[in-house]
Amino acid sequence: MKSTLFILFCLFCINNHFAQVKGIVFGYSESGREPLKLAKIKLLNKGTGTTSNEEGRFELLLPKKLPDTLVISATGFITDSLIVTESDRFISLEIRLYSNKLLPDLVISYKKASHSISRLKTLHVEELTSGELRKAACCNLSESFETNASVDVNITDAVSGAKKIQMMGLDGVYTQIQMENIPYLRGLESAFGLNSLPGTWIESIQITKGTGNVVNGFESMAGLINLELKKPTEMEKLYLNGYLSAFGRTELNVNAGQLISKKWSTGTFAHASGMFGDMDNNNDGFRDVPKGNNLAIFNRWAFQGKKMEAQMGINGYWDQKFGGQNGYNPNINDGKYGVNIDSKHIDAFAKTGFFLKKESNSIGVVYHAKYQEIDAKFGNRFFNGSESRALINAIYDGIISNYDHKIKIGASALYTNINQYTGTLKALRTEYIPGIFSEYTYTGMRLTTVGGFRLDYHNLYGFQFSPRIHLKYLITQQTDLRLTAGKGWRVPNYMIDNISLLASSKTWIEPQKIVPEVSWNFGGSLVQYFEWWNRKASITLDFYHTFFENQLIVDRDESGTAVVFKNYSGTSFSNSIQTELSFEPFRNFEIRLAYKYLDVKAEFGGKLQQQVMIPKQRGFINLGYITRNKRWEYNTTLSVFGKSRLPGYDTSGLIAYSEVYPMLNAQITYVYKRWDFYIGGENLNNFKQRNAIVSANNPFGPSFDATEIWGPVMGINVYAGFRFAINRKKDKN
Amino acid sequence: MIMKTIVLMISLILCNLSFGQKAPKKYETAVIKTSSQCGDCKKRIEDGLNYTKGIKFAELNLEENTVSVKYQVSKITLEGVKKALNAIGYDADELKAPEEAVKKLPACCQPGGMEK
Repeated sequence: MKSTLFILFCLFCINNHFAQVKGIVFGYSESGREPLKLAKIKLLNKGTGTTSNEEGRFELLLPKKLPDTLVISATGFITDSLIVTESDRFISLEIRLYSNKLLPDLVISYKKASHSISRLKTLHVEELTSGELRKAACCNLSESFETNASVDVNITDAVSGAKKIQMMGLDGVYTQIQMENIPYLRGLESAFGLNSLPGTWIESIQITKGTGNVVNGFESMAGLINLELKKPTEMEKLYLNGYLSAFGRTELNVNAGQLISKKWSTGTFAHASGMFGDMDNNNDGFRDVPKGNNLAIFNRWAFQGKKMEAQMGINGYWDQKFGGQNGYNPNINDGKYGVNIDSKHIDAFAKTGFFLKKESNSIGVVYHAKYQEIDAKFGNRFFNGSESRALINAIYDGIISNYDHKIKIGASALYTNINQYTGTLKALRTEYIPGIFSEYTYTGMRLTTVGGFRLDYHNLYGFQFSPRIHLKYLITQQTDLRLTAGKGWRVPNYMIDNISLLASSKTWIEPQKIVPEVSWNFGGSLVQYFEWWNRKASITLDFYHTFFENQLIVDRDESGTAVVFKNYSGTSFSNSIQTELSFEPFRNFEIRLAYKYLDVKAEFGGKLQQQVMIPKQRGFINLGYITRNKRWEYNTTLSVFGKSRLPGYDTSGLIAYSEVYPMLNAQITYVYKRWDFYIGGENLNNFKQRNAIVSANNPFGPSFDATEIWGPVMGINVYAGFRFAINRKKDKN
Repeated sequence: MIMKTIVLMISLILCNLSFGQKAPKKYETAVIKTSSQCGDCKKRIEDGLNYTKGIKFAELNLEENTVSVKYQVSKITLEGVKKALNAIGYDADELKAPEEAVKKLPACCQPGGMEK
């Protein structure tokens, strides 16, 4: 008996063989890097914790049950967290906390999975880091979502080469796209804006499903996408990228960053690209992609002072494209069907942050001004648009008694003057939208809540009140539940939002009145983390329901000869279910599987039916492998798109559907010191939509239509390119 | 079409797998005790060794401060691997890193850097 007890005791001892984690916490603030004393280090699940000593060092016993989440917080710094697993036992961690006075940059210096859902955020945020963005090398923002299942990228028509995103099966105009928390691609950019941001400028992308927070505006209805561009304080000294594709696309990017003094730094980005090839892979007599040239330049500055901090930048963009029938030249009038798109913009932004006496409080002000013009021609139909806008957004950031209760209060003013003409139709609007907002965040051990509202006054449409709430609850240490509900609204610009529909002979019937589109979004997500083969794996399930109180409907079913725009306040909704599984069956070999089901309905052609061109189902598999010496990276994505409804006006009630089609992309990257070389292919299965252009041989005839597009028009594309980077040396301190 | 796709995918995967499995006899694997301390060290060591001629791959285990190295016997000896590690600024089993190489390390990788 005694011996049994003794053995049990021994076993107990072995099992309780304590593992510990050691580390050092550094604080990064405007005065540089220093070890942080009295930082709180807490194990979220176990509930135990410690504080760092005078030198910023800490030691903490790890519980038997791992993984757990380590939360590191310190007064005046942004709280951070990381997951500690068995393999972290006895390890030394270097933790960097960033001053909450710094602009909200990325904060974890720990090696991150390149595609991750941030566990500390209350909103369901997917983050695409530079590691993920490398996987699809070409070319601009619209390609950045290729390895992501939440955002769909679609070609809008068969002649302009423009791409648009969708979230939850809803058009990209319902997703607010912001650049470093400034609403960015809106108004006139809704049509071609995604192409205006070169991929090499982007550092990371955060995707939020559902209404975002209230601080940055009222327009996030289906989702919110935030882009972080490379920061002058951290970016490469020199970065070069060249790209060439079999379609005749060439691209050159040059970025350079410089630290001018301890306080000042600057970054300059230049992009030039051209499309020179005359490609007509589907032999319909039309160029598959327009030819053209594009220049973009961006210069930004950062200032980090003791009392204040500032960022500012200026960006210019110029793009000229011409497509249409083979051999079309905009300078020769030979009766060919041609497409011209000239687009340019200039914009400037500034952000200033002031620290108040109390460390936890600060005031941030954001300024943004933009001017742009788009002139387009589709055969004999023309569009002209110009927009100027200005925004000021001021935010006070503080706490109520302690860091568990945070509050943001602010006011914004938005001015927009947008003028659009097409044929005999015109839409001119000048808007003044002052607004106020407030957001409260409660951070508990397991429950985190963000509740906010904003009240905006529109000079034409009066007051709009938008409440939003987000909850996050940690059901277990490895299970996160998130819930969200909120309202968003926008004033539609039916012309630019649907400009691709000009590539058709169908006439436009303008809406009788234009009123704001208002939607409510409810949803939630469940993320479960676990281990397979001793490596991290996760499964995500989410569901979102969006319904419109009021929407500007584009009805392509009502008439065979016209596109009818109308304001509609009846039933219009979207249900979206998505599930994603990611795991690592072998070391360095990652598999991600996703499936999405979309049910998007409104009244089209007098009956409630599925929105056109939205596949009901989509599946996706992504395989990524990096060799053990990190010299080779392989990446493959196979997507399968289900049937989508085509616009139909058949009185017999027959509904036409598109085909199911796959899309295979792959890329191989070879890393050699400062160089990366990559080669890749898109649409390797060579799928081409048949009859992408209806009545292609008679482009000025009554049944011509290049807008019934649901799949790729180009065949296999092969590309190659290089990157060259000189990184900034780390501080020796 | 789908068949074609599957074949392509499988061949791509096989391509990945076959890499790193070439003629095992030509290679040796060694585990070397070193003086690493933090994530920066890991990056320095792995970058440095992975670009050394004859080394197939090098992976640092921070918990145990050991580097697993697979190298091609005809191109480099174990001694050579250790010297390469010394040159980056880290000890390799019995061989200590020269002082001038250690001086070039970032602050946190210096001896006692994590205790500061």
